[in-house]
Amino acid sequence: MENSYTITLKIKRYDPDSKRSWVQDYELEAGRILRFTDVFRKINNELDPSLAWNSSCEHAQCGTCAVRVNGKPLLACELLVENAVAHFGTTVFGVGPITVAPVVRDLIVDFEHAYERVNKVKPYIIKPAQNPNPGEEYHIDPRDLERYVEATRCVNCFCCAEACISSHKGFLGPNAVMASIVRLMDPREQAEEERLELLYSEEGIYRCHTSMACSFVCPKEIDVAHFIALAKAGKFK
Amino acid sequence: MGKKFRINSTEQCDVLIIGGGGAGLRCAVEILQKRPGTRVVAVTKVGHVQKSHTTTAQGGLAAVDPRDPIDKPIYHMFDTWKGSDCAADQNIIKKIIESAWDQIVWFENHGMHFSRDEGGNLSKRTFGGHTLNFGEASAFRAVFEADRTGKGIVDTLWGETLREGISFINQSIATELIFRGNRCSGAVIFKQKEGRFVRVMAKATVLAMGGSGQLFRVTTNCRQNTGDGLALILQAGLPIMDTEAVQFHPTGIVGPGILASETLRSVGGILRNRDLEAFMERYAPKMKELAPRDLVARAIESEVREGRGVLNPDHNIEHVWIDLRHLSDHVHDVQIPEVTGFFRKFVNIDPKKELCPVRPSVHYHMGGIPTNEFGEVQKSAEELISGLFAVGECAAASFHGFNRLGTNSILELITMGKIAGEKAMDFLEVDSNEPPGDAGEMTFSLFSRFMEGEGKENIGRIRQEMQTLMTEKVGIFRKEDGLIEAIETLKELKERSENISLSNKSLTMNQELIQRWELENLLAVSIICAQGALNRRESRGGHFREDFPERKDEFNYHTLAHMTEFGKVTLGERPVDMSIYEARGENYEKFAVIERKY
Repeated sequence: MENSYTITLKIKRYDPDSKRSWVQDYELEAGRILRFTDVFRKINNELDPSLAWNSSCEHAQCGTCAVRVNGKPLLACELLVENAVAHFGTTVFGVGPITVAPVVRDLIVDFEHAYERVNKVKPYIIKPAQNPNPGEEYHIDPRDLERYVEATRCVNCFCCAEACISSHKGFLGPNAVMASIVRLMDPREQAEEERLELLYSEEGIYRCHTSMACSFVCPKEIDVAHFIALAKAGKFK
Repeated sequence: MGKKFRINSTEQCDVLIIGGGGAGLRCAVEILQKRPGTRVVAVTKVGHVQKSHTTTAQGGLAAVDPRDPIDKPIYHMFDTWKGSDCAADQNIIKKIIESAWDQIVWFENHGMHFSRDEGGNLSKRTFGGHTLNFGEASAFRAVFEADRTGKGIVDTLWGETLREGISFINQSIATELIFRGNRCSGAVIFKQKEGRFVRVMAKATVLAMGGSGQLFRVTTNCRQNTGDGLALILQAGLPIMDTEAVQFHPTGIVGPGILASETLRSVGGILRNRDLEAFMERYAPKMKELAPRDLVARAIESEVREGRGVLNPDHNIEHVWIDLRHLSDHVHDVQIPEVTGFFRKFVNIDPKKELCPVRPSVHYHMGGIPTNEFGEVQKSAEELISGLFAVGECAAASFHGFNRLGTNSILELITMGKIAGEKAMDFLEVDSNEPPGDAGEMTFSLFSRFMEGEGKENIGRIRQEMQTLMTEKVGIFRKEDGLIEAIETLKELKERSENISLSNKSLTMNQELIQRWELENLLAVSIICAQGALNRRESRGGHFREDFPERKDEFNYHTLAHMTEFGKVTLGERPVDMSIYEARGENYEKFAVIERKY
C-alpha cells in the first residue's frame, strides 16, 4: 500500500464566456485516502483556483458532486485516491461533468434541467388516501414499507440516468420513474391512474432496455432495476 | 477588469425566502397552503434544494406523542432548558414543544417515510439528554426516518412546494438586504449560473441561510455553510446573537467530518492516543468513554494538544483513535453497521481489524440572527425590523441556548419555519414597493473590491489558516490570551485577504468569486465568535473557558454583537426569557437557573 500517489487528472473544462471547451491536465501528489472532492480542492488551493466543481455535503447524501471518472458516473466525494487507482488500474483519470444536464462551467452542471424529469413524475402524494384516523399518522405495516423504502434513499445524483442506455433518448430515466414507483407502492397514494399513465407512456418504463446499468452505478447501492422490473410487471402492492 | 456592475433586472414577489433547507421550505409550504396563489420565491445557494444541508441530518426528530402514557411535553421542555445550560428562551421552548407532535403528523400525512414499529405506528428511539420525569429515565421521544430523517423532511417539503407552485432561484446567493427605513423590502440576489444581479422585491423576506460550520477545520457541515446569513445581517448594521455558542461533537470521522455516533462508545469502543493508551481513564475514571459529550471532546483535544495525537498525513489533521477491534462481529454487523460503513467508505479502514481516526467535529451553531417568537428579526433586544424574518440554523430565537440536544434541531427548523410563514402572511396586504435607487451599491462595491484585488494570496490557504486558528484558539478550549491572539490574527488574515487576485474575473459561475465572498463572511463571523468568547468570562454549554471553567449567573444573558467595520465589535445583551418559571405553574421550579449535571 502506497502512502501517496502521483496522479494525473485530465479534466474536461468549459468556459461559458468564450464557449470554449478543452481538457486540462493536473498532475499532483495525493494522499491515499484523499477523496476526489479533496483532490479538486487541492487543485484550487495549490494549482488552479479557477477550476470549478460542485459539491455540498461531501458524504454521499446529496449527490451534487456526481462526475464521470474514466467514463463511469460516480460521486467524487466517495472516490478515494487509492480505490480509484485500484479500480481503474491507472493513475491517470479522465474527469468530466455528467451529461444529462447542460454544463455551466467545467464540472458544474445545471441540475435544474436534470430535475425537470423528476418534477414530471410529481414526487409527492398527488391524491391522499382516506386517513382512517384523521389527525393521526397513517398506519403502514413495516413489511409493506420494507418493499419500497430502499427506493426512498435515492438522492437524485443522476448517476443512473447518466449510465442508462435509454435515458439519453426519450426515457424519463431510472431515478425519475423510481420516484413515481415509490408512490405507487405507498399506501397513502391514490392517484394510481395518473401515475400509471405516465409510467406506461412514450417516455415511461418501456423505454428501459434492462441493461441494469442503473443498479450497477448507483452510489447508494439501490437496486433501481428491481423497482423498474416491479413496475413492468405491475407488482406495486 | 474595471467593468461596472449593474442590476440586470428587478422582480416583484410576495415572500422572498433566502435558503431552501428544512426551515425555508417549511415556511414556503405554510404560506402556499394557507394562501394559494401567493408569489413565493425561494433562493438556494446549492444546485437544487434537495442538496441542502438539512438532508444530512441523521438521527431523528424529538416530539412528545400525546398518546404516550408516560411522556409529557413539560419533560421535553425541561430537558431542552437544562441542555441549553439555562440560556434558551422559555417562551420559545414552550411554543415549539407544544406544537411538535402536530408537525410530525403533518409530515407523515404529506408523505414522509418515517420508520414504523410492528403495529405500523411511528417508531421511536431514545437520544442523549431526553428524559422522563425531569431526568429520571431515558425517553423514547425521537421519531425518525432510518438514518436519514433530514432527507425525509427536505424531500417531503420540496414535493409540497412543487405541488403548490413556487419559483426557485437555484445556485444563487443573497448579497445585500434592501431596506426602506425600518422595513426590509427584499434583497439583491446574485445568480451564479448567469452571472446576473437581480433585485427581488418582497413584502416579507425570510432568511433561512444555514449554519457556519466552515469556520472550523473539522465539521459535519456542508461545504456551503459559511455563515452567509450572519454576515448579511452584520452588513446591514444589525446584530447577531450568541455567536460564541458553537457545538462540537466529540467524534467526527477524519476526512469527511461526519459523525461517528455516540453509539460507538456505548457499545464499547475505546478511545486511544498515539501510544495506544486508553486515555479516558485519566479524564473520567468511572464513566470513561461514556462521560458526557463535552467532557469527551475536551479529553480528545487535550490529548492532541499535549502531543499525544496522531497526524493523518493526507488530510493534515491530528486525531486520536477509536478502537472497535475487540467488539464481536455481531456488534459490528448488527449494532453499528452504518457508522463502520462510513469508516470503510471514506477512510478505507476495516473497523474490525484497524483503529479508526476521530477528532471533535463542529456540528451546530446555536448562535444566530436574533428573532422573537415569530421569527421576526430584532434590531435590538426591544425593537424589530419590519418584514424581515430569520429561521433555522442561521437564526437564534433561542430554542437551544448554549447547547443543543440531539433531535431538537430539525424540530426547531420545521416549527420556526411554519411559525414564521404564518406571521409573514400578515405582511401580504402591504403595497408592493419599488427599490430605493442605491439598492445594489453595497454589493457592487464589495464585488469590485474582490475583482480588483491584487497580490499573491490564495483564498483556500487563508481559509485553511483561519479554520486551523479557530479550531486551536476558539474551539473546544478557549482562554484569554489565545482569544486575544486569535482576534489579532483574524485581523491580519483579513488584511491579507485584500491581496487575493482572482485568476478568473468572469461573473458567470465563477466559483472563485463565490469563495472570495464566503471568505469575507467567514472572517466576519469568526472575529465576532472570538470576541464574544473573550467577553464571556465563564463556561456555558458549548462555550468552555479554561480560565473560567464554571458557569456564572452574571452571564445569564444572550450576547448581541454589532460590527460596523471589520474588527470593531460592539457587544450588547438580550435577557433570557424565563416565562415558564415566572408563570409559577406546576413544576415551575424545574425552570429556575439549575445545574446542568447528568
